[in-house]
Amino acid sequence: MAKDLMFQNEIKEAVRDAYAGISTGAGETVARWLYSDEELAEVPAGAVAWALGVGNPVRYALLQPGEDVLDVGSGGGIDSILAARRVGPQGSVIGLDILEEMCERGRRHATEAGVNGWTQFRRGEMEDIPLPDGSIDVVISNGVMNLSARKSRALAEIYRVLRPGGRVSMADLTVEGELPPEIANDQSAWAG
Amino acid sequence: MAERVFAAKLQGVGFEDVWVGGHRPSGIDEASHYPLFTEEVIELMRRTLPRERHDHVATGVVVKARKPRTRGRTKRTT
Repeated sequence: MAKDLMFQNEIKEAVRDAYAGISTGAGETVARWLYSDEELAEVPAGAVAWALGVGNPVRYALLQPGEDVLDVGSGGGIDSILAARRVGPQGSVIGLDILEEMCERGRRHATEAGVNGWTQFRRGEMEDIPLPDGSIDVVISNGVMNLSARKSRALAEIYRVLRPGGRVSMADLTVEGELPPEIANDQSAWAG
Repeated sequence: MAERVFAAKLQGVGFEDVWVGGHRPSGIDEASHYPLFTEEVIELMRRTLPRERHDHVATGVVVKARKPRTRGRTKRTT
């Protein structure tokens, strides 16, 4: 058990270090693959530049005005801001990220987008979400669940904070079949 | 994580109506745009993966699910 916990901590540290070490997101090229021109026009350029996701969970979430949304692994805030546009000031968005510097970027971009009145960013881990039970209508995430060494724990936490009838919309990468061990065991590949 | 594993983990903690869609192939060229992938790991992928997999190393998906309206049993996980 102790060895597993150490391995989990090593993975967490590797992911944290990888994200803390980058100075830009995947940028506009990748964002244009994932988001429409109309969606990109809704967010500040800085949030587009810091996009690091692998899909478009907001598009599939069918958010309604007044809903309370949690964005797990909010990064530079692109999905939080898109969600905030859809739920409006009657609703709320909380961006959760393991890095304070990412939260700060999210706050800056939300302020530029004019949605900061109902959008906040908090530092925290997806395996221990700092929110009460049954407080959220919709959880979104984008390329984040694969980063957890305790995926079932993270999903149980998401389940806990959702209200009955609440829903999730999560974009991620799936891999069918085996990857060569040199790739599967590479810390950069894990974090990416 | 394989798609079926993702869906099973959601069901395992109590979610229902699990749906997987929005499938989108993701290859090495796309990965090279992400700063988290070092040049070394991109080169490693090109060297170790068969050429026919270079355009489709992984698949981007969107997974949706719902928490039951009636109180379900939440499994404790560690």
